[in-house]
Amino acid sequence: MTVVGPSVPVGAAQVHAQVAVATRLAFGYALPGGRRREVLRGVDLSTAAGELVALIGTNGSGKTTLLRLLAGTLRPDAGELVLFGREAGSYSRMDLARRVAVLPQSLELPTGFRVGELVTMGRLPHSRSLFGATRDDEEAVERALRDADAGDLASRYAEELSGGERQRVLVAMALAQEPQLLLLDEPTLHLDLAHQLNLLETITRLRGERGIAVIAVLHDLTLAAAAPRVAVLDLGRVVADGPPDEVLTEELVRRVFGVAVEALRDSAGRRRLVPSIRPQDSGVPGAG
Amino acid sequence: MALARFRSLLTPLLALLLLLAACGQTQSTSFSSIGAALSPGATPSVAPSVSYPLTLTDDAGRTVTLAAAPKRIVSLAPSNTEIVCALGACGELTGVTDFDDYPASVKSVAHVVVQAKVDAEKVVAARPDLVLAAGNGLTPEAAIKQLTDLGLQVMTLYPKDLDGVYSDIRLVGQALGVPQLAQSTVTSMQARVKAVTDTVAAAPRPRTFYEVSVFEGTIYTAGKDSFLSSLITLAGGEPVTGDAQSGAIQLEELIAADPELILLGDASYDPTLATRDKALATVRARSGWEKLSAVRSGKVLPFTDDVVTTRPGPRIVDGLEALAKAIHPELFGS
Amino acid sequence: MRAAAAVTPRSLVGGPSLTKTGVVLGGGLLLVLLAGTVGLALGSVGVGIGDTVAILGHRLLGVPAQVTWSVPAEQIIMEVRLPRVLTAMLVGGGLAVAGATFQAVLRNPLADPYIIGTASGASLGAITALMLPALLPGLAVGAGSAWLGVGVVQVLAFGGGLGAVLLVSAVARAARGGAVTLLLTGYAVSSVLAACVALLMYFSGNHLGSIFAWLMGALDGAGWRNLGLATPLVSVSLCLLLARWRRLNVLLLGEAQASHLGVDPVRERMLLTGLASLATSAVVAISGTIGFVGLVVPHLLRLATGPDHRLLLPASFLYGAALLALADLGARLAGGIPVGIVTALIGAPFFIWLLVRSRRVPVAES
Repeated sequence: MTVVGPSVPVGAAQVHAQVAVATRLAFGYALPGGRRREVLRGVDLSTAAGELVALIGTNGSGKTTLLRLLAGTLRPDAGELVLFGREAGSYSRMDLARRVAVLPQSLELPTGFRVGELVTMGRLPHSRSLFGATRDDEEAVERALRDADAGDLASRYAEELSGGERQRVLVAMALAQEPQLLLLDEPTLHLDLAHQLNLLETITRLRGERGIAVIAVLHDLTLAAAAPRVAVLDLGRVVADGPPDEVLTEELVRRVFGVAVEALRDSAGRRRLVPSIRPQDSGVPGAG
Repeated sequence: MALARFRSLLTPLLALLLLLAACGQTQSTSFSSIGAALSPGATPSVAPSVSYPLTLTDDAGRTVTLAAAPKRIVSLAPSNTEIVCALGACGELTGVTDFDDYPASVKSVAHVVVQAKVDAEKVVAARPDLVLAAGNGLTPEAAIKQLTDLGLQVMTLYPKDLDGVYSDIRLVGQALGVPQLAQSTVTSMQARVKAVTDTVAAAPRPRTFYEVSVFEGTIYTAGKDSFLSSLITLAGGEPVTGDAQSGAIQLEELIAADPELILLGDASYDPTLATRDKALATVRARSGWEKLSAVRSGKVLPFTDDVVTTRPGPRIVDGLEALAKAIHPELFGS
Repeated sequence: MRAAAAVTPRSLVGGPSLTKTGVVLGGGLLLVLLAGTVGLALGSVGVGIGDTVAILGHRLLGVPAQVTWSVPAEQIIMEVRLPRVLTAMLVGGGLAVAGATFQAVLRNPLADPYIIGTASGASLGAITALMLPALLPGLAVGAGSAWLGVGVVQVLAFGGGLGAVLLVSAVARAARGGAVTLLLTGYAVSSVLAACVALLMYFSGNHLGSIFAWLMGALDGAGWRNLGLATPLVSVSLCLLLARWRRLNVLLLGEAQASHLGVDPVRERMLLTGLASLATSAVVAISGTIGFVGLVVPHLLRLATGPDHRLLLPASFLYGAALLALADLGARLAGGIPVGIVTALIGAPFFIWLLVRSRRVPVAES
């Protein structure tokens, strides 16, 4: 049984319109010496099926922590998190893994495995047979490879792949989980521009075709601006949430990121933010 | 000038050295000729007394020189202690090992060897005129060398069979200046041995397995051509033997040898072998041992006289008699 | 970059190719049969091939036959060699699978099954059992005693092995570290226990030879009773381990990713090391601490099969079983030396040679 649209049943669970609803989420880490570092101080965020939300914020604003809470690997200290219509805490780890996939930041892959085998690892949450792969598993893997545009990589060994190829494999691995919610943890960090754009295209396609909700933590404001919705995290709270044109104002960027930017219109009429960098002169006094 | 003076001293010096060597040679020749005459069964002519200084050759081939009859003796092995005491010199012992227990009086002597480790300082502190070591590594070679380097007279005893024990008793008798006592001790030992061998001469010889130790399948017994195996033969049994050096034997080899009698030399140390019933049950429970002839016929006997069997001294004949009694109970009335 | 997606052959999608699987496992099975045959046929005492086959056929298959062989020959084949060869296989296979598990869980290709204390704990237990008459004479218990049909040495060795692992786990958990902390704690606890063993050895007197044989690993004590005790424990642990092959693979992706795939890395690590330690302790209790098999077999196999545990674990069992049976035959023919000496003498140089030859060692570092 596969997902082809946002309202088709996946297994026994209904795809909820609201995939994830976070209300006043709070989380802190215990430090040695008995102190605590409060990272999230009341986050409100919700995502619906098929949505793409770009999550931005400065370093230390809690983006990765929020992602881990949404993935279920951390439990919030306070607040409520409802995933697919049920309280997050009521799911077992495996249940969540059947619905939520995470694309990690690092591009490392264990050596000695072929790509096909790695993507099959993504089937663990759904695996039913003890020693083999069921027909469903094999089809899901093939589909994941296709969707991630990694079909030609299936027989290659992980250690032979380039950065961009690894990214595609990781996407395939995530897709093999047949997730309803896909969380991306700064996925473009190690990629060059072409690959970054490729990834975005793939994700957009998947949203449309499969109704997957995507929350992507991004560090690049320009890329974030290309997403339909941007949520800004600052000092543990979501301080802005909406279309990029409304959210990414010069004021907000200056307040949150401490950087002066200018909003310009490009040739297609789209709004672009450009950081005001002083041109670096040649060092000759009196020049520039 | 200086060279000339040296040369003029050289000749008398050389002559003196040659003279001393000749004297030493004569004396050791006379005693080693006595040693050579001590062949099995022969009743040697023994010099009635011993004159010092005395040079002897021990079982390791090293020479020991005694200026006078030793008044202070250190023994590095229980068997050596027993030899010294049998020769009436118990009172001269100033150092023994922590395993020494016979006769009872030696228990109060200072321990210079603890857990098989020779404490050189304690040996030196005992100021011995003679140190009796054990051969074949029982007293570590390094320890013997250390004591020799410290200027002590170390005599190593290593009897490989009964005749070796006799010659060691005689050797120590020489050293202590009591050769006739030594000879009479040997003679009475020989008589007792003859009594045993005469008694068992006509009897059938059961295949006898002497168990030294068994732990998780690792089996130690009397080694091939070892002292213990020679004792078993004298006692009227046919010994099942293991490796000549270590005494180890594999289970397959034991099964193939199929002993008719098992003597448990480790019975003193293992409560599961303490009584005849317990021992039979324990041995029968060992996998692979059930079908041995000895086990099937119940001839599995705890042998608690192992101390005398493993100490090659005057009491070795006690051990032989105990062995003979265990192997041929019908010939040696209770 | 946007090339049309190629057709992915089923075998590559599912795992290592069927041919590779067949060759590796088939080869292992053949080797096991070979080792078993040769191990039964040869030994320190010569038993003719004809007799051997006749005895086996008669006792195992119920083939009616005229008894033309001697009682000792039958004893040797049925009570000594057969259980010993089977024990060697159980022990070798168990150690290899346990070693593969530890190498994956601890992310260290040089891990062996004893790394978190099993060997030193079991040794302390076994040697204490041997020294009981000297340590606690009032107890009237010796190395040959049995409680409810289980030998005292087996009980104390098994308990010692598991106890050491529990101690190491507890200390490592208190230190709140990951795989590296576990390794270091294992080393530290093993050292302390080894010192206790050394102390007992110092006072052991004449027992030193027997103790040494056990410490090096000796199958001399192999028999039907010990085999019957260990087999259920080892089989269950190994089956459970084999069934968790997917989780072992996923652990290689790193703790975070494993977590996102539904596997609790901390709990899984505990469960896997627990099962592997159970199998290892059971095996050591009947064979002493045999070295190298648990390290070399999975390590070398991985170079051939790759890190996929679906193939690596069963292959490790087969090749570990065969290799130890062959090593034990060598030990018996060499005069009954402890088999651990054979595995060390052969395993180590072979391992070095292969390391130098191969250019990649495929275990994940994430």
